[in-house]
Amino acid sequence: MTLWTILLPLFGALALFALPARGAQRLVVLFATLFTWLFALALPQAQPFEAPWIEAVGLYWSLDPAGAGGVLVLAAATVMLPAALYASFAVRERTRGFLALLLLMQAGLNGIFLAADLVLFYVFWEATLIPSLLLLGIWGGEGRRQATLKYLTYAVAGSFLMLVAILALRPLSGAPSFRLADLLPATQALPFSTQLALFVAFALAFAVKLPLWPLHAWLPDFHEQNHPSGVADAAGTLYKVGGWGFFAFALPLFPEAAAAASPYLLALAAFTAVYAAVIATAQTHLKRLLAYASLSHMGIVGVGVFGLYLAGLNGAMYLLAAQMLSTGGLFLITGMLYARRETFDLTAYGGLAKSAPGLAAVTLFTLFASIGVPGLANFPGEFMSLMGAFQRSPLLGGLATLSVIAAGVYGVNLYQRLFQGEATLQTRELRWGEAALLAPLLTAILWFGLFPQPQLARIDAHAQRTVARLAEPAAQGAAVHGAALAADATHGEDE
Amino acid sequence: MIDINWLTLAPPLALLVTACIGIVFGIGFRSTRPTALLSLVGVGVAFLFTVLLLGRSGAGETLSSFGLRYLADQAALTFNVVILLGTALTLFMSYTYLGRARLEHAEFYPLVLLSATGAMVMAAAGDFITLLLGLEILSLAVYVLSAWRQGVRESEEAGMKYFLLGAFASAFLIYGIALMYGATGHFTYAGVVALLSAEGFDQPLLAALGGVFILAGLAFKAAFAPFHQWAPDVYTGAPTPVTAFMSVVVKAAAFAALLRVFATVFPALGAVVPVIFAVLVGLTMVIGNLSALVQRSVKRMLAYSAVAHAGYLGLAVLAAGQGANSGAQAVVWYLLAYTLMNAGALAVMTLITDPNDHGDDLERLAGLGRTRPYLAALMAVFMLSLAGIPPLAGFVGKVLVFQAAIQAGYLELAVLGIVTSIVAVVYYFRVVGAMYFREAEYEPQRARSQMTNVALGVAALGTVLLGLLPGWWYGWLSVGGPLLAGF
Repeated sequence: MTLWTILLPLFGALALFALPARGAQRLVVLFATLFTWLFALALPQAQPFEAPWIEAVGLYWSLDPAGAGGVLVLAAATVMLPAALYASFAVRERTRGFLALLLLMQAGLNGIFLAADLVLFYVFWEATLIPSLLLLGIWGGEGRRQATLKYLTYAVAGSFLMLVAILALRPLSGAPSFRLADLLPATQALPFSTQLALFVAFALAFAVKLPLWPLHAWLPDFHEQNHPSGVADAAGTLYKVGGWGFFAFALPLFPEAAAAASPYLLALAAFTAVYAAVIATAQTHLKRLLAYASLSHMGIVGVGVFGLYLAGLNGAMYLLAAQMLSTGGLFLITGMLYARRETFDLTAYGGLAKSAPGLAAVTLFTLFASIGVPGLANFPGEFMSLMGAFQRSPLLGGLATLSVIAAGVYGVNLYQRLFQGEATLQTRELRWGEAALLAPLLTAILWFGLFPQPQLARIDAHAQRTVARLAEPAAQGAAVHGAALAADATHGEDE
Repeated sequence: MIDINWLTLAPPLALLVTACIGIVFGIGFRSTRPTALLSLVGVGVAFLFTVLLLGRSGAGETLSSFGLRYLADQAALTFNVVILLGTALTLFMSYTYLGRARLEHAEFYPLVLLSATGAMVMAAAGDFITLLLGLEILSLAVYVLSAWRQGVRESEEAGMKYFLLGAFASAFLIYGIALMYGATGHFTYAGVVALLSAEGFDQPLLAALGGVFILAGLAFKAAFAPFHQWAPDVYTGAPTPVTAFMSVVVKAAAFAALLRVFATVFPALGAVVPVIFAVLVGLTMVIGNLSALVQRSVKRMLAYSAVAHAGYLGLAVLAAGQGANSGAQAVVWYLLAYTLMNAGALAVMTLITDPNDHGDDLERLAGLGRTRPYLAALMAVFMLSLAGIPPLAGFVGKVLVFQAAIQAGYLELAVLGIVTSIVAVVYYFRVVGAMYFREAEYEPQRARSQMTNVALGVAALGTVLLGLLPGWWYGWLSVGGPLLAGF
């Protein structure tokens, strides 16, 4: 089952090329994404997968469904199902290629979240870059070539150093293979300077993808230039896997170096959260605004991770999954708005609520989820991330919290500009088809907001292991305390 | 007493006999196609012999002939596989190309086979004289092939340039061999090593000087900077299938020779030769990649990229020189991957340039994703694999090379290699970008060829499968202990 979450979208992508009829293609997409979602749902019961790749060099196809990655696979599948179906209607040019790339993207993402061998992880990490580049380069807007080049340069420059570090890791640590299970016991004995060098190489790759200020410059252009259906943006949102990389690889592999570097990274993340939120308030381009909003969330994810407390780590991963749903949903809605008005310029909108109240309600709901309103998906993760940061540094935690205020400003502002005020034009109401596509997303947003415990338990088991490796007695004591607090907090909001 | 084990000689002999038959009977046909098919049969027979020998060598038998002057060990035989595959791809590519470009002369295919024979002899050489013989057999045929387009200045220039500089390189090599013989009194690698490491050896300087000259001669064939100057002009001027042959088969032969000399003779010479070679490798990676970055012509870009890949292969050779078997395995593994992806890319070029090999600028590729979608998709696979993007063959090759280099203690060079790989991503991706992100500016060539499609299919399938299941080929490299026969 673990393997099928990767193979199914892959086969779906291949099958598309054999089928010229549009209806058949739509069925393939539906089948592939729906069953991937079902497999993702069943991941907690799945067995790990392992097969030799090049045994002599210590490379394995090794996938672990038990960790926090399973939650991310589920969230990604929940977004991918409506996104891919929406694309089959909204992308008119070379639809087949677009859909195939989306499915490849999903296969790669699932690989990133499930890989338990470092080289395999890198393979998926880079392989996923190709579909996202092609989606931007082929279906993008006027400035797509500059945007593609910028994105490519950042991504590749970041990740090649990680490859050096991965390759050096085995000879340096003397581990028998590149599997995480073999590397983890071996890396703790590495001298501090080596750990630090390797950690920095990993951190660079992850910071680009997180993204962390000042390595975020590719992000606004990426979203601005992507296809107006918003589907590629939603896929790009799923691809913000830097936080995952820190959580699952960089921190547990190099605990001492992580502890030394975390204050600086924490400061950067806190700054990213506030900086991006403030910039978002000043945007008039719909997609750029969402890009900065999502960047701000990523800052909070970073704050949670670099706090190095259990609560923060749990919260960061939960927020990562939740924001896939909320930001992904918002990008799909921008596509629906564009289909009506053919512009992303916010100043050209206004008063849509009069003629399209359903669309307004759906947008408001998703927007509320995105800015962290309690009871919806982002809140538990955001709360716990910030709490983790407060435990580490009240000052930086406080700074990051300011972004929540700014989020309120840009969120409400966005809603007002779109839906309130003078109605300039009649706008088509939400169609049944569109509502049906958004319904599972909205349900998931509510579900993630109201019942975080089952997913959080999976994340927590994984995070416990990471925290145990961080091996700082004070941190562990506080972490247990933090987890209790977090549990209280989330339950408090349920009632 | 001459010890001849005919079975070990069977693969090159099969090619040699086919080439002779081809020359004699090929003249009788108006078309070169019967000769091409005959040559394919010859390559197939040689391949069967190679597999037979691989089975016996894998069972632990030491296969050699003429004393230890001709070795059919695991290294030589796996190199044979690469050489035969490269040759077969060249034959498939040339099949319709020669007619289209009006270059049909009966000697073409026999010359290709002769050259491949030389390449196999080089790979199996256990003796400096055998090495030299192989090199000359290989080179003479390629000099002629690169000037195949008679009356066209670029092609004749390519042949002349390659011949003159090749003659210099041979002179270096022969001078080095002479010095080595002067110092040790032996031609065989085993004899040289035995004397070099014996107590009371009194000519270390002379031997080291010989080693440096031998290195220079081989570095020329493998296109290491600063001996790479001929490569771009020759690669651009030669007919495209010949370019493919040179960039895969000639390269494989040069690396086979380098690898063996490096793993056996050079360690006994002291530290100086590896240090010089490390500098060459670093230079090659930097110069090759930076030069490729500024090219507009795709064929020329591929020529510089061939130089860059020589650098990566050199890194693995260095690791093998430190006694790392993983280095030797990486060299052979990488060469097979490189053969598939580079020959594939050049096969695509034969279908999109005009019959005179002109029009290979990036602009010509613009919009290929729409005008010839399947060809563009294949080209994209080859480009991404050359760039080292997973999960394609080129990526696994780089992992093996850098892994071996880091293990052998060449961390700085490995980092340099990876940094220069980033540069490479830009110029390979530029091709993909031109094909998919831009509108067509020219009417595309409509050339089609079933035989070239076979080459394309094999190359693309191999590039993908080697990336996903690299263990299959790696398994062949790991059976029967170390790759290079011990002495």
